[in-house]
Formats: sequence, C-alpha cells, structure tokens
Amino acid sequence: MLTVTNLVKAYAGRTVLAVPSLVLSTGFHYFRGGNGSGKTTFFRTVAGLLPFSGAILLDDQFDINRDPVPYRLRVNYAEAEPLYPNFLTARDLAEFVGQAKQASSDQIHQLADLLGVQKFWTQTTGTYSSGMLKKLSLLLALLGRPRLVLLDEPLTTLDVATAASLFAYLRQLNATEGVSFLLTSHQDIALTGLPMTSTWQVGDGVIVPAD
Amino acid sequence: MLTFLYKLIVGPFYARNAGTFLVIILLAFGFLSAREHKALITAALGSPFLLMLVFVLWGLYTLKTIAYVRQELAAPEHLFLQTFWLVPTTKRWVLWVAAQLALLAPIIAYGGWMIQIAATYRKWDSLGAIASWLFVLVGVGVTAVDYRLRHPNPEGLRLPGVTLRLPYVVFFPIHWLRYEPLSLVLTKVFSGLLLAGVCRLYPTDDYDARLLLIGLLLAILGHSQVGRQLSEFEHRYLLLLPNLPLSWRQRFGRYVVIYGLIWLPELLILLRNCPTNVSIYYVVWLWLTGWGWLLLMHSLAYGRSIIADRWLSGIFVAFIGGLLLIMFGLPIGAWFSIGWLTAAAYWFVGQRSLRVTEK
Repeated sequence: MLTVTNLVKAYAGRTVLAVPSLVLSTGFHYFRGGNGSGKTTFFRTVAGLLPFSGAILLDDQFDINRDPVPYRLRVNYAEAEPLYPNFLTARDLAEFVGQAKQASSDQIHQLADLLGVQKFWTQTTGTYSSGMLKKLSLLLALLGRPRLVLLDEPLTTLDVATAASLFAYLRQLNATEGVSFLLTSHQDIALTGLPMTSTWQVGDGVIVPAD
Repeated sequence: MLTFLYKLIVGPFYARNAGTFLVIILLAFGFLSAREHKALITAALGSPFLLMLVFVLWGLYTLKTIAYVRQELAAPEHLFLQTFWLVPTTKRWVLWVAAQLALLAPIIAYGGWMIQIAATYRKWDSLGAIASWLFVLVGVGVTAVDYRLRHPNPEGLRLPGVTLRLPYVVFFPIHWLRYEPLSLVLTKVFSGLLLAGVCRLYPTDDYDARLLLIGLLLAILGHSQVGRQLSEFEHRYLLLLPNLPLSWRQRFGRYVVIYGLIWLPELLILLRNCPTNVSIYYVVWLWLTGWGWLLLMHSLAYGRSIIADRWLSGIFVAFIGGLLLIMFGLPIGAWFSIGWLTAAAYWFVGQRSLRVTEK
C-alpha cells in the first residue's frame, strides 16, 4: 500500500529522519516513540506537507512528487494539535476541504453527525474546546475517498463516546473499502480496539519494527 | 524580568521590522544629509503644522508598536505571559515603560536630536511640545499594552453575518482585516493616496504616462509585505493546504482571486480619479499590471523564509531598477506581460522546488 524509499528529512542541513526502506501493507499501522522522536515529521512528510528527498509511492502507482494531485486525493492527514483561523466555522472548513477532496455533501454531513461536529457546525472555531477542534480535524481527514489516512494522536482530547464511534467507523472503512491507517499515540493504543497490522518504533532519526 | 521582555517582545519587534528600518534609514539618511535634516528640524521647530506632521508620524509608529505587543500578548504561544499580570502594578508599569522606551527608541532618539536643536535655538515652546508628546506616546503605549494584559482574549472586530459561508478566497482578507487592521489600513491608504495623487498631479503639468507608472510602482511596493503575511497565515492556520489535491494552476488561480480582491479598491480609485486626457482603458491596464506584479511578489515570497531585511533590500533595489526602466520608457504592455508571466512561471517552479528541496 505505501512504499517509502531512501527518505531523508532534514531541517537546516541536519537530518532528523532517515528511512532507507519501509513497506506498509493495507491495514492499521501504529508508530510509537517519545516526544520529538520524529513521528509527526514522518506523518507530515507522507502527507505531502514537508519537502524531503527520496520517494514515497502509494499503491505502487501514485508517486508523491510525480503525481502530486492524485496522491493527495488519496492520502489524508489529521494533525495532533489542530489550529484553524478562529473566525471560520466547521462548515466553512469542511466545505473547502471537501470540495478539494471531492467529498459529497452527504458524506460531509454523515461524518459531522458521526463525530458530533453537527452540534457546533456554524460556530466559529475560536469558540471551540481542544476536543471540538480535534473532532473537526478528524472530520477533515476522513473526507473524500482516501486510501491512506494519517492520524496523529487521535485519542488526545477526544471523548470516550466519540472515540468509540470513530474507531468503529475506521474498522468499517478498512473492512469495506480497504482504507489503511497510520496512527501515533502516547495513550494505550489498545483503547482504540483496532487490529494493528504492524507496530513501529520511531526514534534517533530512524523507524524500525517494534518488538 | 526586563531581559525576558526584551527577548520576547523588543528583540523580535526589531528583527521582524529590520527591513522596514533599513529602507527608512536608506531613504531618510541616504537622500538627506545631516545638514538637510537639521534644516528640516529647524523648519519644524518654527512651524506648528510641520511639527504636527512629525507628531502624527510618531503617533503612527507608536500605534504599530502597540499593535505588535498586543498581538504578541494574544498569541497562543504566549499564553504564559498572562502570569505577568501577577507582578505588582508599580513594578509591572516600570517594566512596561522600559520595554516601551526600547520600542520607541528610534523616535526618542530623533526627538532627542530635535530637543537638542530646539535648546540651541531657544525654541522652548517646541521643545516642551516634543518632550510632552514623547511622554504621551510612552504613556499611551504602556496603558494600551497593560490594558490588553488585564483584558485578554478580546473580541475580534465583529463583522456582520458571521454565519455566512466563507469561501477560501476570503480567508486571508478577513484575517488581515480582523487581526492586522493597522497593516491593512496603512497599506491601502498609502497605495490609494499615491494612485489618487499621481492621477490628480497628471493634468497639472506636461507629464506623461511615466508618472502614472511610477505611482503604480510605489503602490505595488507598498504591498510588498502581503505575500509574507499570507504565507505566515496559511502556514500557521491552514497547515492542511499542501495536503489538498490541487494542481499548481488551481492553487495559483485561487491566489489570483485573493489578490484581485485585495487590489480591487485601487481599481475604484483609479477609475474615480482617471485624468481627463488619459484613456479609461489605460488606467484599467495599469490596474491589471499592478495585479500581476502583486502576484509576482506573492510567488517570490510564498512559503520561503526570507530574512526581512534582505527582502526589503530587494524591494528597494526593485524600486530603483523599476524607476530606471520607467524613465527609459518601458511600455505598460511590457510591464503587464513581465508581471503576469513571471508570476505564473515562478509559482510553477517554486511549487516544484518546495516539494523536493533536500537533495
């Protein structure tokens, strides 16, 4: 599903992450590591948010640099600590991202109901709690028809009921549409109830299979 | 604690505005010698009107410093600064005064020079006015920032109909209006007055189209910081933008619309003040040319961390170069083509290089 080759991510000439080879099959993949270990950097790189050297290939077909638009149509990302312009509403952001990700209006509203975003749909994000912002970021990350969704710390600030609905939905997406998920979490990942296909340890600038 | 305030507020203020200061110093002390400054100061000391003009300029600078500090106090990453409220009032005010004196150092230094000259010429009334105005500016600055500290999380500028659907192309203009209104007002007033000014000046003598082009050049350069502001806004609040499946054309097209909205008031000003002996089509060409050059500056600035003084030095060089080309008679069609084509080409190249930069 995802093939990473010779990935090097550097800041100001200092290499912070080097992944010579990483192949992930369809399923749920858990990336763990301490604070500042490079998990978010890896996720943002795979999401196409950060420049890097190397190659990232989705479904043996879509190269992140050669096919920037088809790749980004199929790879979505939810930030660990989302931040949006505080004068915008969930509706403004969902419509903008939904249009780009080719999501239908029905899907947007279905996800808004599932995650409880409908309750504050036309409220500006400046009035949101961190949990509400998290729900909105998860909604945006599920729009369209992604093949891969990167969820950075999805458990943080999310209430138990919404978490349960979310993870049931992710299981359903994986089972029916073959969508894959990459997750990070400092909480017990078992709380998600998701069947992990693989677990990876991120640290010292490398990613290795966890024991 | 004072060192902390300097490190957090004063230092970053000068770092962020280093380019502006550089341009002002180049303009003020490059074109005018010390003797000419003294002559200007002497004239101001003898003319209440000129002195008032100086005071207004100082007031605008003070407003800029106040807006900066209040913006920093409201920034989420500076939430911990709220603990500064717990410092006893007298001590806190002394610290604010010290910080404000540092922020107003350029005008205090110039004011000090004026006071010295006023003392030499025994212009006691002007001396008193300058000293009093400097005290007022420091006092207003301290009061304004301390008020923000004690009244955090202010309501933003309320716009009618917040429940309206907001499309992406208005995200930045609204942010600019709500959170950096002083920058918006100064940019648009500078640009608008310049364009209106050259249009009104045009029929008063034997001027040609070069005068209008010089006005346009200055109006465009007055917008030179907008690309960086837009870039910072999107990098901070719309982190997901690079993840969206949009081609370079689609992204560029959206910025064309954003800058069209930002530049729209200038079209109205040009049409309203169009000189009688200049074709309406020519001023529309002028406006379209300005639009293209704004996009070129956007393409140059977007997503790149360019040191502010280097950027503004480039703007200064662009001004000199542009002035020469205008004086040598480069026609509007050439300006139009260069602006739009280079903007699109640079955006295309820039988008590709931003994706893979670390070879």
